Amino acid sequence: MTLTAGIDVGSTYTKGVIVDESGRVLSRDIRPTGFRLGEVARRAFDSCLAAAGLTSADVQYVVTTGIGRHLVDFKDVAVTDLTASARGARLLFPLTHTVLDVGGQTMKASRLDEAGKVRSFRLNDKCAAGTGAFLEKTARYMGYKTEEIGPLLQTSKTPVPISGVCAVFAESEVINHLSIGTPPADIMRGAIESLTDRSVQLMKRVKAEPEFTLTGGILRFPLMADAVRRQLGCEVNVPAGEMVQFVAALGAAILAQRRLVQLRDESSAESAARAVEATS
Amino acid sequence: MNVHIWDDWRGQPLDEVLADYRNLVEDADFPTVKKWRDAGGKVLGHFQVYFPEEIAHAAGMLPLKIRGAALEPTHADSHFGSYLCSILKTSLEMALSGRVVLDMFVSHPICDAARNLAAIWGRNFSYPCQILYLPQNTNSAHSVRYLRDEYARLQATIEEVAGCRITDTDLARSIGVFNENRRLLRELYTLKRESPWLIAADEAYCLMAVGGMLPREEHNELLRWVLDQLPSRPARRQDRIRIVFEGGFCEQPPLDLIRILGRSCYIVDDDLLIGLRWILTDVPATGDLLGNLAHVYVEHSSYSPVQHDLRKPKDEMLLRRIAGSGAEAAIVCAAKMCEPGLEEQVAYIDALDKHRIPCFLSEFEENMSSFEQLEMQVETFLENLMFA
Repeated sequence: MTLTAGIDVGSTYTKGVIVDESGRVLSRDIRPTGFRLGEVARRAFDSCLAAAGLTSADVQYVVTTGIGRHLVDFKDVAVTDLTASARGARLLFPLTHTVLDVGGQTMKASRLDEAGKVRSFRLNDKCAAGTGAFLEKTARYMGYKTEEIGPLLQTSKTPVPISGVCAVFAESEVINHLSIGTPPADIMRGAIESLTDRSVQLMKRVKAEPEFTLTGGILRFPLMADAVRRQLGCEVNVPAGEMVQFVAALGAAILAQRRLVQLRDESSAESAARAVEATS
Repeated sequence: MNVHIWDDWRGQPLDEVLADYRNLVEDADFPTVKKWRDAGGKVLGHFQVYFPEEIAHAAGMLPLKIRGAALEPTHADSHFGSYLCSILKTSLEMALSGRVVLDMFVSHPICDAARNLAAIWGRNFSYPCQILYLPQNTNSAHSVRYLRDEYARLQATIEEVAGCRITDTDLARSIGVFNENRRLLRELYTLKRESPWLIAADEAYCLMAVGGMLPREEHNELLRWVLDQLPSRPARRQDRIRIVFEGGFCEQPPLDLIRILGRSCYIVDDDLLIGLRWILTDVPATGDLLGNLAHVYVEHSSYSPVQHDLRKPKDEMLLRRIAGSGAEAAIVCAAKMCEPGLEEQVAYIDALDKHRIPCFLSEFEENMSSFEQLEMQVETFLENLMFA
């Protein structure tokens, strides 16, 4: 059995996945990233190993991704979240041609070619608006925890507009809305709509083509996918349940499998060439 | 002048030594130059790309490679058009701001902008500022003789500034020191090609770059020690694409850019600070020594967009560099506003396309500070190759 691992060291959460050669997930782990990125990656990896009853020697190749990808000393190679998410999205939804990844501190849209390679991409500007951090901050202002955002959104009746351009202006708007008695659920829903506006703009800038697959922690809130669907006017793919947060880690593990096959092929080709050389 | 000006590395672990030299390369106050002057030494500053440093060294001067710095050109900006490259401005800023005090300055007619640099410099300082006219046509049968005479002309001014006459013995000794330096740099590049995981791209760059600001004997000692230590460095070989970086012959990319590129791939060869490695063979230390220096410049030298030699078409030279280093792809950059660099990109890309060698094309500026987008682009390029 050929086992590989993908570790996604994200700005908010670190995710780990171990897969076999068929792409089956043997174990996975998610934990807050904190400030020691190399260490948290090791802990996520160890947890995945323990859950699958493995040791690190059983895993032949490790690919890291996410903001802390270069800080992991046990990796074989680091890849961008773009490439990792693309491969993960393709595994889950083989007709994916556009990926939107809304993470804790970044938002990325990429367009893929037929082979699943990234052909074009755009990142959000250096601004919290358009990221998960913006939603968390908005919730915090109103006295809600991150895990309460989902249930809160369900109670919204009339979303209010929130600036999609700047998180600082948005903060003032949230305070104004609260002061005039706007229900927090409607403010939260407004923040989601603003996030969606930015997401769709980003997707347009990469000349997005269907199928569209949405990934990242923010997609845990079904309203976000609904809003994107509405704005695009077509269906979008969203990985089921918690898997929406593991797409990049899964893609990294799949890339590791692919790389091992390539390296084996190259090694066989070199051996064959040496054999031909020796007999000629 | 026989003084040691930078001994801090002795007795330190390798990683700390390499980190210290990174700080030294980034220090826009040029402490090695200050120490040299404090000890009574004189300094000859020479602008990129190549200068026969042996001549200044033989006169007991410190040849200082002027390659710009991470400075805001607040004084120098008004001396240049806004359409000119950054290295000209930050190089002059080094002197105008008093961070570096020279006794002589030399530039070369490698491009229109650099050709005028010595004149601009000379209007602001009273010490000699000269242009070393390297041969425009290196294919002429007279180019070696011509260059030898240019070197002799320059030597006369250097002797005047240094206050001593350069004997053949002095020059032969200096040639020996620089031959050793070039041999050690070749060894460093062999290691980059064969075991690139042992030294990061930015570490190797700094190790080379300090040569341009230290007495070369000291640089040789440092290089020998580091090259001795590197093979036993605990470093994990990673699965990365091998690339050649092209475009660092004059203005240098920011160190962080080199670091960022080097953490996604193995830079197995490059043209960074190519002037320090311009001469490819040992220079004979007997006979007509200036003639020997001129001969190797014309006959046994590397290539760059600022030397025009029909025997060295730059696109073919790049292909050779890629093949010689076993690279799988190239990153071709040019400094913003650098005419020679940008013009050469056309031929480079054409040749790489014809030979189906993947290539990433970009521009840089020595003072750029945001690399996120560029890093993402480079990494995506590399990943598309790795996971083809």
